[in-house]
Amino acid sequence: MSERSAAQPRPSAELLERLREGKAQLRARRCNLSLPEKVEAVIELQRACLPLLARQRPLRPWERVWELEP
Amino acid sequence: MSRFATALAVLNDMKAAGVVQEYAVAGAMAIVFWSEPVPTYDLDVLVWLPPSFSSIVTLSGIYQWLAARGYRADAEHVIVEQLPVQFLPAHNALADEALRTAATLDYQGVAVRVVRPEHLIALYLEAGARTPRRRERAALLAESPHVDQQRLRDLLERHGLEF
Repeated sequence: MSERSAAQPRPSAELLERLREGKAQLRARRCNLSLPEKVEAVIELQRACLPLLARQRPLRPWERVWELEP
Repeated sequence: MSRFATALAVLNDMKAAGVVQEYAVAGAMAIVFWSEPVPTYDLDVLVWLPPSFSSIVTLSGIYQWLAARGYRADAEHVIVEQLPVQFLPAHNALADEALRTAATLDYQGVAVRVVRPEHLIALYLEAGARTPRRRERAALLAESPHVDQQRLRDLLERHGLEF
C-alpha cells in the first residue's frame, strides 16, 4: 500500500499554491458581493445544503429554504 | 421593497414602538453582512427588552406585537415575511457591548443595526457557547478586512476570551 502511495504522482507546490490562491480569490469575490446578492447566495446555499442535512437527521421546523426575494 | 428588506424594517418598527429598546442583527446573517455568504436558516436578533418590574425575562411582548401584525410564532422563532427570526435578549456585558456598538448598515434603503465583526467573534468564542462550528465561524470572520485586529485583541483580552 505504501509503495503505491509513493508511486502516486503529487501536485507541485506551485500548483497547490495556485489552487489556494484561486480559493482565496473566490472568497474575496463572494465577500465583495452586494448585500442582496449575498442573501441570494445564502438562499442558494440553503437549497444545496438542506437535502444533504435531511439525509443525516430530521430537519428542524425553521430549517427550510427562505421563500422570499432578497 | 423586497421581503427581506421588509423583515429588516420590521425590526426598526419594533424599536420605534418601544417593543425592544435596542436591537442588532447577530449570528450567521451578521457574518453575511460583514464577510461571505454562509449557510443559515434563521435571523438572530440580539435585543434589549424594555425595563420591567418583573425579574423574569419574557419575549411575550415581542411575540404579541408581531402577532398583531400577522407574524406567527413557530417554536422559538417568529416568521417575519417568511424569514424565521429568533430574538435573543442580551445575556451579559459582552452582549450589551455588542448591542451598544453595533454598526448601522444599509440594506436596500433600510437602515439595519448589525453587531460589529469583532464582537461577533467574541460572542462566538464565549465559554458557554464554544462549539467547533462556532470557532470555525469566528476564524472565518477574523480574516475579514472589516475586522480591526487591535480592537479584536483588546476585546478578547477584556472579556478573557481566546481562539
